[in-house]
Amino acid sequence: MRAFLAFLLSLPLSVMLMGLLAAAVPAPWQSWLVLQLLGVTLLWMLLVTLVALPERTWPPLVALLVMNGLAWVALQTTALYGGGA
Amino acid sequence: MKADRLRRFIDLHAWLGMASGLALFVAFFAGALNVFHHELHHWQTPQATEAASQDAIDGQALLDRVTDQYPDARKRLFFLPEEDPAVMWFQSSDAGAGERGAGEWLTAHATDFDEAGKYVEKPRSALADFINQLHYQLAIPSGGLPINLGMTFMGLISILYGAALFTGLVIHWPKLRKEFFALKHEGNMRRYWKNMHNLIGVVSLPFHLIMSVTGAAMGAFTLVAVVLGTLVFGPQLRGVIEEETAVWPPVQSQGENAAMVPMADYLSAAADALPEMSVDWVEIRGYGDAAGWVDVAGSVPGDVGHHAHVVLDPAMGVLNVIAPGQRSLNFDSFSPVYSLHFGDYGGMLVKGLYFAMGLLGALLFVSGNVLWCERRSDRQGPSRGSAFLLRLTLGLCFGVVIGVACSFLVSKGLPYTPWAAWVATAERAVCGVVVVLLVLWSLRASPLRFSGLMLMVAPLCYLAVPLLQVVLEGGHALEADNLLINGLLLLVASSLWVVRRQFRKRVRLAEPHPLWVGKVTQGHPKHLTETEREAVS
Repeated sequence: MRAFLAFLLSLPLSVMLMGLLAAAVPAPWQSWLVLQLLGVTLLWMLLVTLVALPERTWPPLVALLVMNGLAWVALQTTALYGGGA
Repeated sequence: MKADRLRRFIDLHAWLGMASGLALFVAFFAGALNVFHHELHHWQTPQATEAASQDAIDGQALLDRVTDQYPDARKRLFFLPEEDPAVMWFQSSDAGAGERGAGEWLTAHATDFDEAGKYVEKPRSALADFINQLHYQLAIPSGGLPINLGMTFMGLISILYGAALFTGLVIHWPKLRKEFFALKHEGNMRRYWKNMHNLIGVVSLPFHLIMSVTGAAMGAFTLVAVVLGTLVFGPQLRGVIEEETAVWPPVQSQGENAAMVPMADYLSAAADALPEMSVDWVEIRGYGDAAGWVDVAGSVPGDVGHHAHVVLDPAMGVLNVIAPGQRSLNFDSFSPVYSLHFGDYGGMLVKGLYFAMGLLGALLFVSGNVLWCERRSDRQGPSRGSAFLLRLTLGLCFGVVIGVACSFLVSKGLPYTPWAAWVATAERAVCGVVVVLLVLWSLRASPLRFSGLMLMVAPLCYLAVPLLQVVLEGGHALEADNLLINGLLLLVASSLWVVRRQFRKRVRLAEPHPLWVGKVTQGHPKHLTETEREAVS
């Protein structure tokens, strides 16, 4: 259950973190889309490891959920969704 | 690192490996053979068909016939300029679809036309495609869904595999040098298998890192793109992906016709634009349409990201050249992902290395699963769970190994029988049936006896394939690609024989673990680990 949730919640977080990076990098996000895809897969692997590692089950999962929320809020401050670079 | 933290890393590594190990075994074993996909295509062609292709129409006549008879082929087709040229197209309508019907990719070879010039689909072996599908989607059919289930599943498995590699790296990094030279018996065969697992993992770590990242990137591409579009970029992402990965925009037909020049002229124009490129295939969009284009695709040797395209208009004007040093960052990143995964960037030496690493990877996953089951049983006492997982591992792994060998035997033998028309179906069916039967058998049999028997049968199956070809086709078995594939099958047979010898040695020298013998009950004595034994004595 814990691993499943870690696996599930790590995907949106890694995607949103990569989105925040795309917003921060001073280059059109379209031009390095494949690198973003590779970055998302690496981040996803890393996050699954980090969340599944601690001895206690719920604190890392709650932290992952909170991080997802924070990343989503941070993404709303960017012009990426439906916008340009 | 503190002992407690190290133990958690080991537990996580073992769990991740166990969760993904069986799927990865199938992917690696089929993937090792799939490294020689192109050669396997030649191997699967019976000698009689190859002889017929000498009298068949040429590639240009094939192209003309297909585009005349099938309007769908004019929208988009792939031309493969090989010894027996082929044209592939997507048949979206029933018009002229014949027996196969609409909604399928059709392939016509130069040998597939009757005397009246009508396309007659001939039964052909599809072994290379089956092995490829077994590798990237476990041969799970998509069932007409918009997402490839098997491929996405393998993408998710690759994420777990990558996480297992991270944890494995953390565990083994501090003692890397020591473990590199640790493959010795020291009178303890279980230690030997554990050291072998560690050694294979450490030696092939860069290969596994490449496979996990590229496998995840390709397998989970659709899923990641959907989430990326939903959360970050919005609906515009789909259009951007198409734009950034297409060699030229889709055809916007104005209804104006254009005369197509012979295929040889397009190839010649592409060679002028990019002389160092060797052609693999040609894609034509809008055949005979003034807005259509021809993409001559191939390789530029000497670069890891070797894929190249020359896009031409119907009158052979160069529209676009995509090659190393002349392409966008997206193409520059995407090309190495493919070539690093398929190992087609460094000739036969690299392909041979990928083949060996693939087989070693398969051994890594089996040994990892076996070690996990034994370790779990050592820690918690004998359990039905550990026994079940061990038996499932053995049944599935031997099932796939022997099932694939049976597919090879069917592919070579069936075309010479009255049931030749069923060859493509039989190749898949026989593998599936063998896997199911051996899994069921392994769940009932003693793992020790089952493994001993399977390790005798499996090498013989792989030895039988080249022998069957020699019996049926004589010297044809010794022609370039056939010789290579037969040599590889003999290598698989000898590798399995080496595993058999090591397995028998283990049985002879070490006390079998309780999981390996008969039924496991709660009354069965708990097996002591090495450390526990030392503590007792």
